[in-house]
Amino acid sequence: MVANINEIQSAAAALLNEGKVKLVLGYRVRGNDRVPAFVTQADQVGCLAYDSACTQNLAAYLRKGEVRSRMPLAVVARPEVMRSLMLLTAESQIAEGQVTVLAVDEQGFHGVLDLAGTAKLLNEQYARIAPDSSLMEQLAKIEAMTPQERSAFWSEQFEPCTRCYACRAACPGCFCERCIVEMNTPQWISTAAESHGNFAWHMIRAFHQAGRCVECGACQDACPQGIPLMLLNHFIAREVEREFDARNGYDPQAEPVIGSWKQDDKQEYIR
Amino acid sequence: MKTLEATKLADLAAALTAAGYRVIAPCQRGDQVHLECYQAGKTLRADVIPVNSAKDALFPRSEVIGRYRFEGNEFETVPVAPQAGKTVLLAVRPCDAAALAPLDAVFNWDYKDEFYNAHRDATTVVALACTAADDQCFCTSVGGSPDSTANADAVLRPADGGKRFILESLTDKGQAIAAAGQAVLTEGQAQADPPAQVAPAFDSAAVTAWAKDGFDSPLWKELSLACMGCGACAYTCPTCHCFDIQDEATRREGVRLRNWDACGFGLFTKHAGGHNPRHDQASRWRQRVMHKFAYFPERFEMLACTGCGRCGRLCGNGMSIREVCSQIEQAAQAGVK
Repeated sequence: MVANINEIQSAAAALLNEGKVKLVLGYRVRGNDRVPAFVTQADQVGCLAYDSACTQNLAAYLRKGEVRSRMPLAVVARPEVMRSLMLLTAESQIAEGQVTVLAVDEQGFHGVLDLAGTAKLLNEQYARIAPDSSLMEQLAKIEAMTPQERSAFWSEQFEPCTRCYACRAACPGCFCERCIVEMNTPQWISTAAESHGNFAWHMIRAFHQAGRCVECGACQDACPQGIPLMLLNHFIAREVEREFDARNGYDPQAEPVIGSWKQDDKQEYIR
Repeated sequence: MKTLEATKLADLAAALTAAGYRVIAPCQRGDQVHLECYQAGKTLRADVIPVNSAKDALFPRSEVIGRYRFEGNEFETVPVAPQAGKTVLLAVRPCDAAALAPLDAVFNWDYKDEFYNAHRDATTVVALACTAADDQCFCTSVGGSPDSTANADAVLRPADGGKRFILESLTDKGQAIAAAGQAVLTEGQAQADPPAQVAPAFDSAAVTAWAKDGFDSPLWKELSLACMGCGACAYTCPTCHCFDIQDEATRREGVRLRNWDACGFGLFTKHAGGHNPRHDQASRWRQRVMHKFAYFPERFEMLACTGCGRCGRLCGNGMSIREVCSQIEQAAQAGVK
């Protein structure tokens, strides 16, 4: 547990007591697990906990009607969750005044922030979040493969996918009311949980995350079948940075990379 | 008695494969153990409860149940027979074997499902008695036990401190397994290890009783708040059996598919006109619990939960049958409606 957990609890209590928020979305300990906590009364804040095992991205709850109806609310947010909040602001899903941030990282609590303050903190303190080194090693291996080997690798990885959509549910960026996989007049993607449908689903989801994924890892953690989705996500984020000089989730006013055009965009994709 | 050295489980799988069985067994896949088709070279793991259930072998996640062709105004259906090869579920846990009872019941209730029954008839179940349980296991709370042989054709019992298994054949299908695996089995004596201790998690009768009048309870809202609405719990559940029928067609031909579906999805009950009778996650979780603990016992005199604990093991948000039912039991004791 972070050393100053009691500061998170008292900040949450103050927000609830002063009526600034109706709900605090945080984490609590249950057995060996860390599970989401939905705190609505100041006398319940004692359950709030935070440590490095709190990996769920609570920003994903902001699409849920039952949670949105309790806005304004506060979210216990590590840097990746803060980045999700920036994305949701840029994509008009949340606005200043609806969400207050209780900023945390592995060192502890860093204060109560509004969304503008969160953007400032992110850019000052967390501008460079180094990707996991084992992820980079795996990615290098995949990039060294021939296209045939790579196709075989991903077919093998996607094979156990049951299309439970836990990846989509855990992702704050997946807020579409009707996902492309649910479009059936006409059907865009096969809903069958077998090779070509699974391939199409994961590839299209990865493309829909281009310029958007904040690499929180929630989708991979949520996957019951152990599919290494972060390999795709990191690859796409890296390409977006290389091609468009954009890092996702740092600018609450950012234009979507896929949906905007700039005079100085590199033209390497157009050949 | 027939015994099998613990290190020879893969040899048994290979012998059964050679005898023409499709062998579904707990195979190492990355950091996880999956129940999947054994192939030479795969490592078998009898010490870990697999992340997925065995139902995929009987009720595939996606199955072609019909074909059709059309040309101009001419339309023709092409009958599809179930593709059910001889299968053995090797070293599946008693909670997976127990799940065959609710599946058998529902797929033979108002309609005899030819696809499920073809797979079922072609399947032999070799259960693996549990000598260890984890903190999510709760078979003893839903009428099961770690060494139950219900629905099994044969059982492997860990023996001599896990060094070997005793293979007991319980049916003719089980005898056939012993015969097909004869070359890797030994005739000898062994001392079966004691079954796992699975502490009770909740009183299922109390949940069923509370659910009788619990349809309109405000508690569902609270219980379901953390649910994100995916289908992971339903798809790894050994008893969940809801499906969706989808047609996939090109200009001249198409297939009719049966795909898994889940009551946790918003789309599951959404009408074409836009109305959704289960408009929130609370009503979807109510359905999930009611189906397993109220409607199923009413219709079939059994629960549709075998206590495998998979939903609790996989859900990062802590939503599980074990947790929700425990909370319902507490509410019932406190007189909360």
